[in-house]
Amino acid sequence: MMDRNPQQPITLSFDRGTLLLTGPQPREISSGAEPSVWRWDARVGAWRCEAIHYLSGRTALSRRFGAGFRDDVAKPVSVAWPKQDLPELRAEQKEALAAWTKGGRRGQIIMPAGTGKTEVAFATMAETQVATLVVAPVRDLMYQWHRRILAAFGYDAGIVGDNTFDIKPVTVTTYDSAYIHMDKMGAGFGLLIFDEEHHLPGKCRREAAILSTATMRLGLTATPERSDGCEADLDWLIGPVAYRLPFQQVRGSTLADYDVVRVPVALDEREQATYDQCSRVVRHFLAARRKEMPGYTWQDLCKETGKDPQARHAQKAYYLKKSVEDRAAEKLRVLEDIFRLHYGQQILVFAGSNAMAVEVSKRFLVPTILSHTPKRERLAVLEGFARGAFTVLVANRVLDEGVDVPEAKVAVVIGGQASTRQATQRLGRVLRKSGSSRATLYEVVCEDTKEVERSRKRRQSDAYERTVHRRV
Amino acid sequence: MLTSEQSIVEYRAGRAIPDRLTQNTHRHYLEYAGKMLAIYREGIGRQRRELHRQVEAIFADEPDCPIRRIEAFCKLLDDAGIFQADTSGKAAKLRLDVFSKAARLHPLVQAPDRLFEHEEGAAKSQLAEELGAPWEMIEQGLYADVIAYQRLEEFTGYPDAAAFLSRYNVAQLQACLYRAESLTVTATRDLKTIVRYAKLAKLLHEIVRGTGVPPMTVKGIHGQDARATHGQDAHATYRITFTGPASVLRETRRYGVNFARFLPALLTCKGWKMEAILRTPWKTAAKLTLSEADRFTSHLPPPEEFDSSLEQSLADKFGPVRDGWQLIREGDILHEHQKTFVPDFTFRHGDGTEVFLEIVGFWTPEYLALKRETLRQFRRHRILLAVPESSLREGASITGHVLVYKTTLKLPPLLAALEAARAKRRHELVDG
Repeated sequence: MMDRNPQQPITLSFDRGTLLLTGPQPREISSGAEPSVWRWDARVGAWRCEAIHYLSGRTALSRRFGAGFRDDVAKPVSVAWPKQDLPELRAEQKEALAAWTKGGRRGQIIMPAGTGKTEVAFATMAETQVATLVVAPVRDLMYQWHRRILAAFGYDAGIVGDNTFDIKPVTVTTYDSAYIHMDKMGAGFGLLIFDEEHHLPGKCRREAAILSTATMRLGLTATPERSDGCEADLDWLIGPVAYRLPFQQVRGSTLADYDVVRVPVALDEREQATYDQCSRVVRHFLAARRKEMPGYTWQDLCKETGKDPQARHAQKAYYLKKSVEDRAAEKLRVLEDIFRLHYGQQILVFAGSNAMAVEVSKRFLVPTILSHTPKRERLAVLEGFARGAFTVLVANRVLDEGVDVPEAKVAVVIGGQASTRQATQRLGRVLRKSGSSRATLYEVVCEDTKEVERSRKRRQSDAYERTVHRRV
Repeated sequence: MLTSEQSIVEYRAGRAIPDRLTQNTHRHYLEYAGKMLAIYREGIGRQRRELHRQVEAIFADEPDCPIRRIEAFCKLLDDAGIFQADTSGKAAKLRLDVFSKAARLHPLVQAPDRLFEHEEGAAKSQLAEELGAPWEMIEQGLYADVIAYQRLEEFTGYPDAAAFLSRYNVAQLQACLYRAESLTVTATRDLKTIVRYAKLAKLLHEIVRGTGVPPMTVKGIHGQDARATHGQDAHATYRITFTGPASVLRETRRYGVNFARFLPALLTCKGWKMEAILRTPWKTAAKLTLSEADRFTSHLPPPEEFDSSLEQSLADKFGPVRDGWQLIREGDILHEHQKTFVPDFTFRHGDGTEVFLEIVGFWTPEYLALKRETLRQFRRHRILLAVPESSLREGASITGHVLVYKTTLKLPPLLAALEAARAKRRHELVDG
């Protein structure tokens, strides 16, 4: 290889989620003592590294090559907010903001649901005044950020997601869309805000952080823990934990106090018969298989469904069993009782499936928010619920996290998953600060079935420490 | 294309084997395919959910049919049809209307009492009267926009049962590639099509000209100067590895969809082999290998044998071999980093001389500029350019490597130019 022509500039540019360094010859970078983030890319004849290394990479390069170095990566524009209608921060919010700023504006803030994480995020946006991308888990939350940015700053943010691709200096998106589009929009944002940041470390979704050149990053969550332990990666994808407010500290002070009430329901005769019949089918199939193959598991069964109608039959029976449990008629009767008991109060109902949500909706003629609910209807329903025009709102998993549903003091869970996060998030939803009345969370579970076990598992989370058992 | 949830792949001894239904193994599936097409053809007006159930019912007693296969069939059938989309938001409007009207009756109870007097059935009849339609109809319309309840409006379908199964087989191959981290094609023909479609799929390439070809005279192709025997097949073999920008930094499945998009174009080509490295669900590596001999059928048309009649007539006149020169159509890729150029013809002489010919049919200023830039970039190579007389600017200088033609390219000037190039090369070799 020839030595580099000193006239040839050393240029850094953004290339589909990576940084490309043209000019230096292969040995000019690799000779460094530390392990380099740069790799020689023979396909294009240039050095390449992940966009996330932009800040450190740029600093090192300009120190090394001085005036011969040119940075062609798109710079984030500064944003002049049309207005700033922000509430005075509470003490813990101020602390969180200060800690994040002190940490070089790269870090995570962990605060329980309902303690005003969004307000802290707005404070960082007001302070940095730079092109910002907000990443939220689902469409609802993306639209909610859009609405709240409009209300707080008078700024009509761009939207990437929900079949829209409209990038503006301040844009909101979802994790899935960020993964798909970050290679196109990775340069140009100065601040990334990851709402519910525990979604980020997934194998694919993390690329949303890796493919961006943003030098400032903020992660928000109430529950950073993941079952795969990948939350440790948030330290380099976003930055270390800057501030953590424990759950117990806020109960009773900022948030309403609450009870957890478990309501066991029984299957009716027909449901029980179907349930038992299905259980028998599954049990017999497994027993027969295990006679020949000890250690035969459910996974083995699933694998066999392609080759064996019997296995398929057993699998179907299992799903039918789950659906009987999910949609037990008794649950609708219990719901009626709860509606009577809390007449005049706003009630949130979380269903275990779309089908159950629709069933509740058709029975009581109350609105739903499901993943496919159109944007306009979603707004109308949320707005109607906030103003009390609708007293009940049914959701499947969409409202699990972060979506603001104001003034709900009663929540009912009629099926769902056993994960700790869902429990905390759902609790947070009914615990929003609103007056002094106690909040109540009902769990309606089938007796003598797997659902009881899930309820038990849920209560291991510290949010459930003061569970009250009571029959309605 | 399918979703990953509909993909069926068996991993055996480090190999990935996507689901495939063939005449030998699954002859009886032709009948199933015919039945499925009939369900959709006759299913105009039916709900998506009903259609899927009908398809599922066909396989109730079929011992060899995973649920994913049925779901994949449904996806491909859905893709070939148009479903009624509630674009005006009729169902959403109805919901808001019904729920708003019902809000004042809340809660609808089963046993009314003094406190709660709105019995479910009576309240619903009352609402139906207000809305001027029977309650059953209202209830049916309430969630009509949910994807599962959408109705089939139109079905284009597939030409026949066999074509449908072919499409299924290719779709499973594509879905298998979603897990791929890199894809390597070894090709001798249709290089232009391969490179073009890979570019359309936004892939980056690394090109290596393989061994086992006539002696190379062209420098710069990764510095390989293979002394090869004069094989029967004069086609050079190229090994092209496709990846994406980030592939050099880490293993990523980010470009799996791009590989999948590229595949149908590759299947239309001749003389190729393919190997993809994928990551299994257990994080181990597996290989998917494929070649023309696997006889998958693409839904895309095969590449045109010749881009123009001009090329065709030259190839016909010249024949495969003439005066020691072999004629090969689109037989080589000239490349420098991501810039590629596949000349229309390669002429290869027994002594190892290689000359490329590019026929320029018509000119637009942009096309001209692009061609000139390409030729400038690859000027180290022996490239002859055939230019129509009518397109020449007045006073244009004709250099040795430009052949001017009126209507067709004549052989004598072409052979003369080839021989001139050979003589020049001999001089260069002697001069060292």
